Amino acid sequence: MAVLTEEMKKVLKVVGKGGAVVHLTTSSADGKPNIVAERFVTHYKDEYILIAEMFAQKTKVNLNENPVGCISIAHPVKDHTWVFRGPCTIISHASPNHYKWHDIIAGEVLKDWGDWAEKEPPDEVPPDIVPPKLAQRGVIVLKVEEVYTFDSEHSGQVIL
Amino acid sequence: MSIKLTPRMTDWIVVNGVHIALATKKGFSTVIVSESIEVNVDTIKVDLTPSQIHQIENIIVENPLAAIAPGQLGSVRAPYQFKGMAKVIENNLEIKVEEIYCTKPGAEAGIRLDTMGYEEMKAYEESRWTDFAPRA
Repeated sequence: MAVLTEEMKKVLKVVGKGGAVVHLTTSSADGKPNIVAERFVTHYKDEYILIAEMFAQKTKVNLNENPVGCISIAHPVKDHTWVFRGPCTIISHASPNHYKWHDIIAGEVLKDWGDWAEKEPPDEVPPDIVPPKLAQRGVIVLKVEEVYTFDSEHSGQVIL
Repeated sequence: MSIKLTPRMTDWIVVNGVHIALATKKGFSTVIVSESIEVNVDTIKVDLTPSQIHQIENIIVENPLAAIAPGQLGSVRAPYQFKGMAKVIENNLEIKVEEIYCTKPGAEAGIRLDTMGYEEMKAYEESRWTDFAPRA
């Protein structure tokens, strides 16, 4: 288990200026990688990262057969060259409230982050790229077990 | 079959760099990020540092499949995913692009663009975006 630093939490929760953007990488069980940008992201407790699940179709298929992910920072990237790796799953709105995954209780996390558009409307996202309708099916949860840098001179070096 | 990238795709990844996802045959994934990119028709060429080569060389030998997404604000302004076969040649990673997807969140997430053909793919871009190149 890795505990997120305060700086990491701050970067994962940029307020204003369009917020943070990350890439979520998953893979099929036989090694077909998939990488998708995610705009609705936050830290949760001390060792989890949440992403709004908005029809992440291939991601869902991959996580069902290989529940591991990598989250890399796309913006703001300066001095934040981090890749977070660990077990990853989707907690959907169809989950029972008492469903537990590691330290995450479905009812609690969905109460807090199950309606991202209501909690944090994307008012600062330019109109030409904001989705016309935010249809959230649940939350993607990654439990951070390792953090490494993607800084080109030290790429792959574990920092947490 | 490989697919030619459009000028919009090329401009956004050359200026913003890319995040490259690779995985072992058992599905253990890893990511490298590069800002030193060239595009030649259907091939994305990335300059690698020694530490990046060390990170990925064994994975590439085992499994050459790669998935690539634009970096920085290209991640949201240019929501593409490129998939193809990668190989390390000297200090470069070369990926021949075989599939291109739109990753814009919402109803169009996951639409496959390369199957439209080159001209249709450009028309798709022109109908959705006006920012055909990143701001300098």
